[in-house]
Amino acid sequence: MMDFYDSNLVLIQATCTGLILALSIQVPLRMGVFSFAGAGSYGIGAYLAAILVIEQEVSAFVAIGAAMLATAVIGLLLGLLIFKLNGLYLAMATVAFDLIIGVITINGGETTGGSTGLYGVITDFTMGQMFALTVIVLALVALSEVGRTGRRVDAVRDDPELALSMGISLRRYRLTAFVVSGALGGLAGAMNVLVRSAIGPLDIGFGLIVLGLTMIIVGGSRSWKGAVIGAIIFTWLPDILTAIGEWQELVYGIIVALAAVFLPRGIYGVLVDLNKWLRRRRRERRDPPPAVAAEQAGDIDPKPGDVREFALNEETVP
Amino acid sequence: MQDLLSVVTLGSIYLLFALGMSLTWGTIDILNFGHGAIFMFSSFTAYLVLQQTELGLPLIVLLGLVVGALMSLLIQVLAFEQIIKRAKDKRTAEMQILIGGIGVAIIPLAIAQHHTKSNPFGFSSSTFTVDTWTMGDLRITNIAALSIVVALVLWVAAAVWLRRSRQGLALRSIGVDAETAALMGIDRRKMALVTMAVSGGMAGLSGVLFTFGLGAITAESGDTLLVKAFACIILGGVGSMLGVAFGAFFLAAAETVVLTQTSGSWVEAVSFGLIFLVLLFRPSGVFGRADVRRT
Repeated sequence: MMDFYDSNLVLIQATCTGLILALSIQVPLRMGVFSFAGAGSYGIGAYLAAILVIEQEVSAFVAIGAAMLATAVIGLLLGLLIFKLNGLYLAMATVAFDLIIGVITINGGETTGGSTGLYGVITDFTMGQMFALTVIVLALVALSEVGRTGRRVDAVRDDPELALSMGISLRRYRLTAFVVSGALGGLAGAMNVLVRSAIGPLDIGFGLIVLGLTMIIVGGSRSWKGAVIGAIIFTWLPDILTAIGEWQELVYGIIVALAAVFLPRGIYGVLVDLNKWLRRRRRERRDPPPAVAAEQAGDIDPKPGDVREFALNEETVP
Repeated sequence: MQDLLSVVTLGSIYLLFALGMSLTWGTIDILNFGHGAIFMFSSFTAYLVLQQTELGLPLIVLLGLVVGALMSLLIQVLAFEQIIKRAKDKRTAEMQILIGGIGVAIIPLAIAQHHTKSNPFGFSSSTFTVDTWTMGDLRITNIAALSIVVALVLWVAAAVWLRRSRQGLALRSIGVDAETAALMGIDRRKMALVTMAVSGGMAGLSGVLFTFGLGAITAESGDTLLVKAFACIILGGVGSMLGVAFGAFFLAAAETVVLTQTSGSWVEAVSFGLIFLVLLFRPSGVFGRADVRRT
């Protein structure tokens, strides 16, 4: 166990930061805000943490806190600025935002280290702290998916008019999406630079957006579990694919393309469907009722935790 | 004057590339993020063929055109049609197509990167040589002149096709209201395939011309151009043929100014900043019709 942990430490770290990056795109997506600003916040967070550590020699805690605070504020400002945009336009505006951050870091001179980036970011940041932060974030995101908050978020996404008529402030939820996305992106970036001790413009380009997006598209865009599945797959897949040799990039591409086209709800969505189908089969075998009764029984499943997910996944597609 | 000429040359490459994207986006609502991959892969295919045999310019251009059109059709049939079939409404379909396009584009990119090891590739083995013509103080390469002519001819042809022909009318009506268009007997699937083929052909053509003009390109060139084309389209206004030309030459001019006036590599930021500003202040673009869709 320890051997596995030691030899795969880099991948385990990458899984944590990848997961939080994926969440920074997934959280706004769940609120119907198609924003990739999380990737830009990742860049800001990483660079800010690196600069603070190198020039002010602050502790890891301060660096992460400052990065998250700054990216949350920038997220809020960005949200206020492009609040009116929707759908594709919003997506592209945030892509532009991400890419501008990249250009700024290249042209930042001494402060950002130009095209080589910054290195030698060494602090007292431990793996334990990293796991703790990841678990806290996961728990908070999971909390936002259940109960009243969860239902409201679903309403804001699936039927904004309905949500508005029920007295839910769309504006507040959408701005929250930007702030949370910013803070999560900042956290992911800061953690990444603290464990890897270096950051460069190439790490925060278009590829980062694609990575975050593929994680939640393949994993599943409606639940934090999907983000976990996606983060694990896309951090470990390249490593596993080296076994099949030189065509790994191609296989990777084919997996992403197939998932994007045929599994719009991701692997998590498939698992939910499969689970549901299995249960129905089992119930039918136990006492075979008329088809209609089986349908009804399926709809009011007794396990409370799962009801919401079923209801959700049945009719909604990202 | 020389600067102006280089603006026109650069602008015509942007125009040729963005024209195809604008065509599909403005009519059949497909913002194809595989467009950059088609651009790159057509040129890459020409490069592979050139390693086997010698070809002249006309055949290489034709090859790029055909490969681009075929790839575009393939993406449409295998990816976008499947997505549209499964999506529950138009907005979901738009998003899925964006994501699907990004996903599909990884495959040609991976193949080209693997083969070239991410090094630049060019057409050094073609029988065509780049000449420079001098007219007074002006210097222009034959390939730049060709790019300008091809871009302008195709642009006019596309605009006339959309405005004057029956097919163009059908396409525009799909752009305005797809369901009513279908009720009027317009075969949406066929029209979509035609449009995608035309669009892909343009991408392939621009890929080959761009590679000739620049000497060599890398597998990643398509991604950058994709964002630039997006900037051109929204600056002009989605669906406007006049707009996309305006956008292309405006972006080329702005980039040239930034390149000559500033140090460092701020050029890339021009298109990104432009996207941001246009979306902020005039989302419908300079020549766009007002977008009537709401949340």
